[in-house]
Amino acid sequence: MPAGYQEVTPDLIEALRAAVPGRVSVGGEVNEDFSHDEMPIYGKAMPPVVVEAKTTEEVAAVMRLCNEARVPVVPRGAGTGLVGGAVATHGGVMLSTARMNRILGYDPENMVVRVQAGVLLNDLAEDAAKQGFLYPPDPGEKFATLGGNAATNAGGMRAVKYGTTRDYVRAMTVVLPTGEVLQLGASVSKSSSGYSLLNLMIGSEGTLGVITELTLKLIPAPKEVISLVVLYEDLEACIGSVPKLMRSGLQPQALEFMEREIVRLSESYLGKSTFPQVFEGTEVNAYLLVTFDGESEDALTDLIEQASEVVLEAGALDVLVADTPQLKKDAWAARSTFLEAISANTKLLDESDVVVPVNEIANYLGYIKQIAGGYDFEVKSFGHAGDGNLHIYNCSNTMEQAEFERQVADFMRKAYAKATELGGQISGEHGIGHGKRQYLASMAGPEVMRLMAGIKRVFDPNGILNPGKVCGE
Amino acid sequence: MEILVCIKQVPDDSVAVRLGPDGQPDLTGAAMVVNAFDTYALEMAARLKESAGGRITVLCMGGETAKDAVKTCLAVGAERGFVLAGPELAPTDTLGKAAALAAAVRQLEEEGGQPFDLIFCGREATDRPTGQTGPQLAERLGLPVITDLVDIAADGGRVSAKQETEEGWRRVEAALPALVTVTKPAYDPRYPTIKSKLAARKMAIPVLSAEAQPGPAAAQLRLFEPPRRQAGVRVKEENAELSAIRAVELMAAAKVL
Repeated sequence: MPAGYQEVTPDLIEALRAAVPGRVSVGGEVNEDFSHDEMPIYGKAMPPVVVEAKTTEEVAAVMRLCNEARVPVVPRGAGTGLVGGAVATHGGVMLSTARMNRILGYDPENMVVRVQAGVLLNDLAEDAAKQGFLYPPDPGEKFATLGGNAATNAGGMRAVKYGTTRDYVRAMTVVLPTGEVLQLGASVSKSSSGYSLLNLMIGSEGTLGVITELTLKLIPAPKEVISLVVLYEDLEACIGSVPKLMRSGLQPQALEFMEREIVRLSESYLGKSTFPQVFEGTEVNAYLLVTFDGESEDALTDLIEQASEVVLEAGALDVLVADTPQLKKDAWAARSTFLEAISANTKLLDESDVVVPVNEIANYLGYIKQIAGGYDFEVKSFGHAGDGNLHIYNCSNTMEQAEFERQVADFMRKAYAKATELGGQISGEHGIGHGKRQYLASMAGPEVMRLMAGIKRVFDPNGILNPGKVCGE
Repeated sequence: MEILVCIKQVPDDSVAVRLGPDGQPDLTGAAMVVNAFDTYALEMAARLKESAGGRITVLCMGGETAKDAVKTCLAVGAERGFVLAGPELAPTDTLGKAAALAAAVRQLEEEGGQPFDLIFCGREATDRPTGQTGPQLAERLGLPVITDLVDIAADGGRVSAKQETEEGWRRVEAALPALVTVTKPAYDPRYPTIKSKLAARKMAIPVLSAEAQPGPAAAQLRLFEPPRRQAGVRVKEENAELSAIRAVELMAAAKVL
């Protein structure tokens, strides 16, 4: 444990139990699930204490007690992160918001909904649909909490048309590391009222404050949705048609590219063959999955006709239309299970989620394929073609872990350097957490890191909130 | 080979439907789709056509929206489609439907100048699954019927069907013309291509008039929801062996064993 932090004492445990009665687990009572997120390669750590808060007041009490005692606190939602952000690397108290799972109410006239931070994305999506609304952000992990989505500025497939979580957070209640409760933002659509602490909090990965409530923007649910599966002979043609589609003004809601191998892996995991492997004698090696939404079936049919012209002209072999609920479900199930399918088939797994300019995707993936041959692990990639956010997986079933980690570190350094060189960023939607800290430091440079560390000190003078994450030591 | 596929338009069966305050199924949020078993029947027919040659006609009972169901089929293998509009029949009246369909089949055969060699139906509808309409239609038309197909081949005036059974499957043959009903095969229905979808969109769907039928042979007395499943009993003893013993005791007490 770094200097300055204190161990959890029996006195502190007693005070926590008084503040959050019946929901404090200690030592052997702590469930193993709390020791890791969904990317355990960055190291597991059993938190000595887990507190499951139900109210903002309880969160504030926990922060006050731990700040006074100089004990680290790690906020945690559903634990579905991919960069070790919600892992108690420095011991202390894990503060779970998973039980703060109430949808507090809709304001249909202002089209916002107020939720506790522990509400699951899936639960809000389903509930909003019943009210005739769409909550547009849709990160792949539907069982993440909305608090976690805001803390990482989660993106997802619909970001290409609707933007990321940041674009939908109107206001929040946040507990500072020192225990004060703040209201940031408001249910309005404009603001020019000083530094946007709201936006600073979004994407801060639980290092500046604990988000306990969110006011989220909704949109009227589009009446019709239709997806296209576009077949290509090779990845170059596939990626090459993306900028053309984006410039066409047809505004796809989602635009995903997939390569042959990963589609087959996912189909065999699901036990269902969805996408054709051969088209009129030509092997299909790459696919685009495109979704459009609209107000009527006729308008949408015109839209997909135009979109098909664009992609066919750009070299697509053919365009399949997922126009029934079953076909849509099948097409997206194959895409949505990539991570699950990879995890189920892989012993050692690491990942990066760089984002590069859309016109550099093909160039970047070409580079990745070129360097991948120099390592003993397999490289699998897919991603959001519409916004340049790429998920690149390093997978091995045969390597020793130490050697895997050594080779992956070397691969990542090159991969991140190339992304930066092409004008990209280290993470599009997963965050930095614990796992990507060293890469952020080397790509962002000392000035940016100095500013981030300074901001962190203003919010958290004792450095107790989620230490060792993003810019922390 | 002249192939007819009879389809039904049903509410999307992936949406959970409850009874509304009026005691009728509340279909809000459930889009109207082609019955899943009928989509399997069409896919099987399309594969047969691709290997043996021929033409597929689709027939759907219903009103104006039935045209959408037919267009969906025209985009994935059918060459022509008809809607059979006519007197409202009670939902329970499969005999009436079979009689109306049989009359429409005769009419199509007469107008086309040639009989259908093979008629496909789904094994049942997902909204009111009786599994009766197909066999009753066969009876009306005087055709041999094979139910619950998972695969089919046709050769030299005969059809060879792989029929699903309780234990597995068996091979059943019949002379053509014949009627078959289809359950879930090992493959999934194909996606329409943009070209086939746009072409289907422009196709005309002629409407046939169903003949009036005598009153229903069966009546619906009451609609009710199945009882909610009771929460199960969780058996968790000290170890797996004790848990197994406890589970057997419970089953013996409940006279399951």
